Amino acid sequence: MAADAIREADARAVAAAVIFREARLLDAGEWADWVAMYSEDAVYWVPAWLDEYTTTNDPDTQVSLLYHDARRGLEERIARIESRKSITALPLPRTVHQISNLEASETGAEQITCHSVFSVHVYDPRVAKEHLRHGRYEHTLRRDGETWKIARKVITLVNDRVPTVLDFYSI
Amino acid sequence: MNAASQIHAARLSEISRLIDDRPGERIFEVDRRIFTDPAVFDAELRYIFEATWNFIGLESQVARPNDFVTTHIGRHPILVMRSAEGKVGAFLNTCRHRGTIVCPFKQGRQKFHVCRYHGWAYDSGGRNISVTEEASGQYPPSFSNSNHDLLPVARLGSYRGFLFASLSADVPPLEEFLGDTRAFLDLIIDQSDSGEVEFVPGASTYTFDGNWKLQFENGLDYYHFATTHSSYVDILKKRNASAGPDAGFTAEPEGEQEGQGSFSFDYGHAVNWSIKRTQLYGRPLGMDPARLDAVRQRVGSTRAKWMLRQRNLTIFPNLQVIDILSAQVRTWRPLAPDKTEMVSHCLAPVGESAAARTLRIRNYEDFFNASGLASSDDNVMYEFCQTGYDATTAAPTQGYLRGVAEVGHGESAHTRELGITPTEWSFGPASFGGETNFHPGYREWRRLLQHAAGETA
Repeated sequence: MAADAIREADARAVAAAVIFREARLLDAGEWADWVAMYSEDAVYWVPAWLDEYTTTNDPDTQVSLLYHDARRGLEERIARIESRKSITALPLPRTVHQISNLEASETGAEQITCHSVFSVHVYDPRVAKEHLRHGRYEHTLRRDGETWKIARKVITLVNDRVPTVLDFYSI
Repeated sequence: MNAASQIHAARLSEISRLIDDRPGERIFEVDRRIFTDPAVFDAELRYIFEATWNFIGLESQVARPNDFVTTHIGRHPILVMRSAEGKVGAFLNTCRHRGTIVCPFKQGRQKFHVCRYHGWAYDSGGRNISVTEEASGQYPPSFSNSNHDLLPVARLGSYRGFLFASLSADVPPLEEFLGDTRAFLDLIIDQSDSGEVEFVPGASTYTFDGNWKLQFENGLDYYHFATTHSSYVDILKKRNASAGPDAGFTAEPEGEQEGQGSFSFDYGHAVNWSIKRTQLYGRPLGMDPARLDAVRQRVGSTRAKWMLRQRNLTIFPNLQVIDILSAQVRTWRPLAPDKTEMVSHCLAPVGESAAARTLRIRNYEDFFNASGLASSDDNVMYEFCQTGYDATTAAPTQGYLRGVAEVGHGESAHTRELGITPTEWSFGPASFGGETNFHPGYREWRRLLQHAAGETA
């Protein structure tokens, strides 16, 4: 029991370090460091809502809001924004990620699963408009030598009537 | 006609003249006010959206008895249901008692819809089956003798599973309204062996702070692609350098002239298309050669060729159907002069392979919607346009004349292949991006407003 409690505390400490760092890197626009937190075969998934209560559960037969089954998909999105050719990023909205209600547990050898909730405040300096995105994260972390990589991230976006643009930096 | 209605008619007539269309002089101008003026916006809802056929969904969304989906026509909330007997109906989603929304859900299956306010109940055929405590209600005969059923739309029709409805009975028959756009719906529907299409689960809804006509125009605008979507094109070119055979790339038959064209039709509709040797994206239909051969056998090589060409269809006033790397059905709902809600579905032929379906879904997510790598740029562009339209004293924009000098009438090689008779057509090099295909929508816009003003065109 005591050992379990310690393990859970360790898992939570690892998860908090990863998830809060991810949020900081996203808000700071340090995307090379951010995407390096993901394993090459990472799944990044924002399901869509089927009705008032249910989200999609199979990306191969249902449409997601975002779905990438490899880090390369995120790298393409970063390259698009850094090319300064996409008007969605001219200027780039400013964001603040707030994450809380963190729970984490070891769910396998060298694997931690964590649940948290997020509020992302999005401010568009182009038109001085702001809005709030909120929802839940489910991260799966996998040990990679001395560090932990994000192997899977599922983002359930609660307010899914999306104003104008939805991209990795604003959820 | 009394004085008030004369003033109203004069106002509508004045609004209709914000489109300056003089084909003989090769002038086509759109006053910036049509994107910003609340009076124009109100007239559009009442006399365009609420006075003509609107796309309201697919029959396959209500495939089984008692299935329902909710949507809008203009401002009106609409409830589409399949009755227990299997008949599709479309009703105003408002209780006959006090006006409450009867069905507040997006979709589902229910035999009955009970109003949450006082408990009046309707069956899936729209019939009122209960007025709560009617016997003790001390109602006058005028109430008891009235019909209490949900109010049906004035006209409801289906073309091969595409449902259209009109709140006004004063519309042409659906077949006439759709005209030759049916040939382009057929090019999608006939990709299915059973002639059925469906929405892939997972619709998305998004908004942009701009006028709905910005989406209407953009869906017919190939001129913007290279500029607005250059960051996406860069990604595609990189990917395509290493694309395998399962990416679905197909080749035009030998001897086809590359280029980009459009067809304009009556009642505001138009379609854009392109013929390219080098495709930017593969097609779900192209990833399985055996299946493509089977389709070719069934529909003939000419129509199969057109199935593999990019086609962007606009059915005025609220529908765009795009068949490129995937197929999208998108509709818009004007919320304010400067705010529009989009609902977007991935459209698919019933019966394609699991691999083709997954490619269709990935390609769709890649390109479309607020989260896609292309549509998101469009959404921001609409907002830049809307902000620019605040320059109200500026002259009309110059965005309606590409292609006007060589607009075609009558037959062309392309119309003959498709067996269609558009009112106008255009064809130019791949870089063409004509704008004459915006004209039919604006001509219909003006016709409907003039019709409302009593000066039937």
